[in-house]
Amino acid sequence: MSDTPILQVENLSKFFPVQRGLLRRTVGHVKAVNDVSFAVNKGECLGLVGESGCGKTTVARCLLRLVEPDQGRILLHGEQQTFDIASASRKEMLDVRRQMQIIFQDPFSSLDPRWRVTDVIAEPLMAQKVGRGEAGRRVLEILPTVGLGPHFADRFPHELSGGERQRVSIARALIVSPPLVVADEPVSALDVSVRSQIINLLLDLQSQMNLTYVFIAHDLSIVKHISHRIAVMYLGRLVELGTTQQVFEDCKHPYTKALLASVLIPDPTHREQSYVLEGEVPSPLNPPSGCHFSTRCPFAQEQCSAEEPELRDMGGGHWVRCHFAEELDLSEEIFAPQFDTPTASN
Amino acid sequence: MPNSQPILEVHDLHVHFKMLAGIVRAVDGVDFTVERGRCLGIVGESGCGKSVTARSILRLLPSSDTSGQILYHPDGDGQPIDLVGLDAKGDAIRAIRGKDIAMIFQEPMTSLTPVYTIGEQIMESIRQHQNLSEEESQELAISMLNKVGIPDAERRFADYPHQMSGGMRQRVMIAIALCCEPRILIADEPTTALDVTIQAQILRLIRSLQQDLDMSVIMITHDLAVIAQLADFVVVMYLGQMAEKAPVVELFQDPKHPYTQALLRSIVRPDTPPREQLHSISGSVPDPRNAPSGCRFRNRCPSVHDRCVEDPPVVEFGPQHSATCWLYVDD
Ligand SMILES: Nc1ncnc2c1ncn2[C@@H]1O[C@H](COP(=O)(O)OP(=O)(O)OP(=O)(O)O)[C@@H](O)[C@H]1O
Ligand SMILES: Nc1ncnc2c1ncn2[C@@H]1O[C@H](COP(=O)(O)OP(=O)(O)OP(=O)(O)O)[C@@H](O)[C@H]1O
Ligand code: SF4
Ligand code: SF4
Ligand SMILES: [Mg+2]
Ligand SMILES: [Mg+2]
Repeated sequence: MSDTPILQVENLSKFFPVQRGLLRRTVGHVKAVNDVSFAVNKGECLGLVGESGCGKTTVARCLLRLVEPDQGRILLHGEQQTFDIASASRKEMLDVRRQMQIIFQDPFSSLDPRWRVTDVIAEPLMAQKVGRGEAGRRVLEILPTVGLGPHFADRFPHELSGGERQRVSIARALIVSPPLVVADEPVSALDVSVRSQIINLLLDLQSQMNLTYVFIAHDLSIVKHISHRIAVMYLGRLVELGTTQQVFEDCKHPYTKALLASVLIPDPTHREQSYVLEGEVPSPLNPPSGCHFSTRCPFAQEQCSAEEPELRDMGGGHWVRCHFAEELDLSEEIFAPQFDTPTASN
Repeated sequence: MPNSQPILEVHDLHVHFKMLAGIVRAVDGVDFTVERGRCLGIVGESGCGKSVTARSILRLLPSSDTSGQILYHPDGDGQPIDLVGLDAKGDAIRAIRGKDIAMIFQEPMTSLTPVYTIGEQIMESIRQHQNLSEEESQELAISMLNKVGIPDAERRFADYPHQMSGGMRQRVMIAIALCCEPRILIADEPTTALDVTIQAQILRLIRSLQQDLDMSVIMITHDLAVIAQLADFVVVMYLGQMAEKAPVVELFQDPKHPYTQALLRSIVRPDTPPREQLHSISGSVPDPRNAPSGCRFRNRCPSVHDRCVEDPPVVEFGPQHSATCWLYVDD
């Protein structure tokens, strides 16, 4: 891993219009991604976590221009040249796709059922105008890399298990040898016994090919296992960013703490679940004023709903978006259970 | 466990489906006992037969070929009722379904009716099993919504399911399941579709209601962490068969079946060294129509040997701990 960034995301925003009624009038915007900035170094794995709807997939789709960002720059430092993906031309995007590929969450719907495995994997090569013969040869070369035998080349997706399909998606992403891979929940749809195979494969490939990953997942134990650094999102905002150690052992944002505390420990002799966060993620159409987390935060004060905190540098590359990041004591005791035995009487 | 009393006993349960492509042996020889006031966990990967087991208890699989015994012990000294012997559409099972034994399904959106308010749906369930006036039913419904942690329940009463979040819908499902104070709650992956923070809320809710109402719970999940946190007793399933069953601490500390051992090794724990290779199980779960003969785990088992082509025996390791495997039998 190096200190040279391969990807720099600066002030990225994506707002989706919300339309209602017969005339499809725009009644508001979902701020799916709101002024998000981060960088990823060569050879690093950056984990992106947060609850459903916080904007993880939208970030990933913006990175590949599968949706058009509304604001911000996405700088990809390629081997020869730097691209701003947010404003790249069609022709430049061809180059970008040679350097960055995506693996999707659902191995069932992301593969076209009418295509054979070999055609699925070869698709990014065809987009790069590589000849058929050459493409077929490279598919046979990459199959063993993802742990599939050559006989898989002629199969159709419905003839594969979930894990095999995800291997095919990984092969498709890697066929153009991109230095950067965005993986959007690559193991969430897989069985437990297959999940660890795919994680191992991703780790292996990363060290063999010096790949850089942006790894999106909601399973925090897996993110912790694979990531060097972790970014935490809440309602379109980046709320904490730091090394895996900073985030897991010394987190400074109450939301991160709440997320970590809700991870269930696979040990029946440790059942004292420390803390259960109350309430639910508010509507992204109408996020709470000031700090978006203020409606659920046990530390919220007047200032919190009045003023939105900035993402601030706590030193050592640890960034936190909380007014009181320096002062808060996020020890377990303060996170006393609030949602305990509901009373039977009312 | 002191004065443990069985409330539900499942003996040698088989559930088969006849399909054009062949017979799916979705459940093939499952045995377990649910004790009063305790939580039994059923864990296994996709397609191993967890939901089929759960549904067959309530006779919700009329087109299946079901054999074995499912003995339900009602309160008092009444004789146990064999649910397998009941007519799936008859009055006897209907009186039990929802009243004595209630179920929360995997996907709350498909089990709530979109065209009725959630209030109407809870009231309907109360009406089916209890003789209460309209006002009393409404009062009970609102108190149930309060109890499962729906804020502002009086107002939410008139909401339609689509107006609620996934977590709220799951709470409504729990309220419907609990409004008749069932003796057994079957929860089929109640948190799989939910975020971690909401999962923690729902599991805590189920646990506290279990204690308050002295209810038994059958918790179905593919997540060993959920099992570790909630279950007293665990059944591990693989491709329709029972690989192992044990009290929860014993299962985690001294697993006997190679599948349980491999599963437990493959999960990431707080102390797993970062970025190192994880233990994994080779291959993937085969299609149940092409399940290997003998031990169904044998094409993936690291300890496989010649005998495994034949049906493995159930080996006891204690009064409540057994594994279905050849490994512990001398030849
Ligand atoms: N094409 C779209 N049109 C309108 N709204 C959208 C669109 N795509 C996403 N959104 C909204 O943007 C927000 C962020 O969605 P996104 O899919 O990025 O979340 P996520 O973090 O990936 O969630 P999950 O964990 O459920 O995958 C959500 O409120 C979502 O409803
Ligand atoms: N009505 C049915 N007809 C035919 N086959 C069925 C039917 N219901 C279930 N099956 C099959 O029985 C097997 C067990 O299914 P079941 O739904 O019990 O799995 P599960 O353990 O609940 O899996 P998951 O974790 O994916 O929910 C599967 O192979 C499934 O395809
Ligand atoms: S700014 Fe206030 S509400 Fe937001 S996380 Fe910090 S303490 Fe909580
Ligand atoms: S019976 Fe044989 S194949 Fe099956 S789990 Fe035991 S050792 Fe492995
Ligand atoms: Mg997503
Ligand atoms: Mg199921």
